[in-house]
Amino acid sequence: MDTETQRKWDTASRTFDWFTFADDHRLGPHKRRLFSKIRGATLMVAAGTGNDFKFFPPGQHIVAIDISPQMLERAAQKAATYQGTIELQVMDVCELPFPDASFDTVVTVCTFCSVPKPVAGLRELYRVLRPSGQLLMFEHVRSKIGPFGIFLDLMTPLSRRLGPELNRDTVGNVQKAGFQIRREENVYLDIVKIIEAVKG
Amino acid sequence: MYFVIGDYVAGMLIGALTALGVRAVVWPGMDMVIAMLLGMVIGMGIHLVLGLLLSPLLGMFETMMPASMIGMYGGMLFGMRDSMAAGSRTLAAAAAVGALFGALVVLSIKVYDRALRGPVIDAGD
Repeated sequence: MDTETQRKWDTASRTFDWFTFADDHRLGPHKRRLFSKIRGATLMVAAGTGNDFKFFPPGQHIVAIDISPQMLERAAQKAATYQGTIELQVMDVCELPFPDASFDTVVTVCTFCSVPKPVAGLRELYRVLRPSGQLLMFEHVRSKIGPFGIFLDLMTPLSRRLGPELNRDTVGNVQKAGFQIRREENVYLDIVKIIEAVKG
Repeated sequence: MYFVIGDYVAGMLIGALTALGVRAVVWPGMDMVIAMLLGMVIGMGIHLVLGLLLSPLLGMFETMMPASMIGMYGGMLFGMRDSMAAGSRTLAAAAAVGALFGALVVLSIKVYDRALRGPVIDAGD
């Protein structure tokens, strides 16, 4: 377990809901649309304080993991109000204890901006997905537009201390891990994206 | 609607405060290169503080991206103007031009976002 990352997100859990209040409202409909594609056994990576549980379609059984116990403490209350079952577990995405081919769907929301070794984490997701299993991601990435990209590069040393990195090439990392991109959609500029991939 | 109005108000506030911040530091006759660099630093500082305060209310990226452009480029432009004493003689006029600049940047980014939004790759199911 990466204890340094765990400590960072335990600390962030205290203010997490406050900082994501507006994002929940603005981006919620896009997440709901993405999550409507969930099918079968589902793993949610980096559940955080459970803000996104309300966007899940009802009636699912979802295993939701996070590296931070304090995030999951806050998520427990929201999991209890979900019309289905959400099982919370403290876990590092790079060291998943699940057997190969355990899930039909993996969901991530703003996760691979924060995982210190993103390709290793994505390879673990590839391993636990069944053949033709789907990876549904709602992520922010580095912009390819000159001034925006440079700004995100400049801000990353600061943002990394408090939480996520702002200049990740998550689409490239998904491909490096072996997935095939099925759909990539810009939600805000070319920074906030929906990425759908399948295990080839 | 709340978010659209909020985006413009935030942009105008950041623009106005950047203009006032630059006016407080740059004097007529200052070397223009120094004035522009100073303006950029002031604008970046103001956008960081205000961006942090406003992002919980308006969304992280929707606040941060326009704010960064207003702070960085606005700061440079206002620094250049103030070093030459080229217009906006009063503080109110400087703040108004700053607010106008902020609103125009927000509008431009909204138009650009509309153009970029949507599928980039769609291989079907």
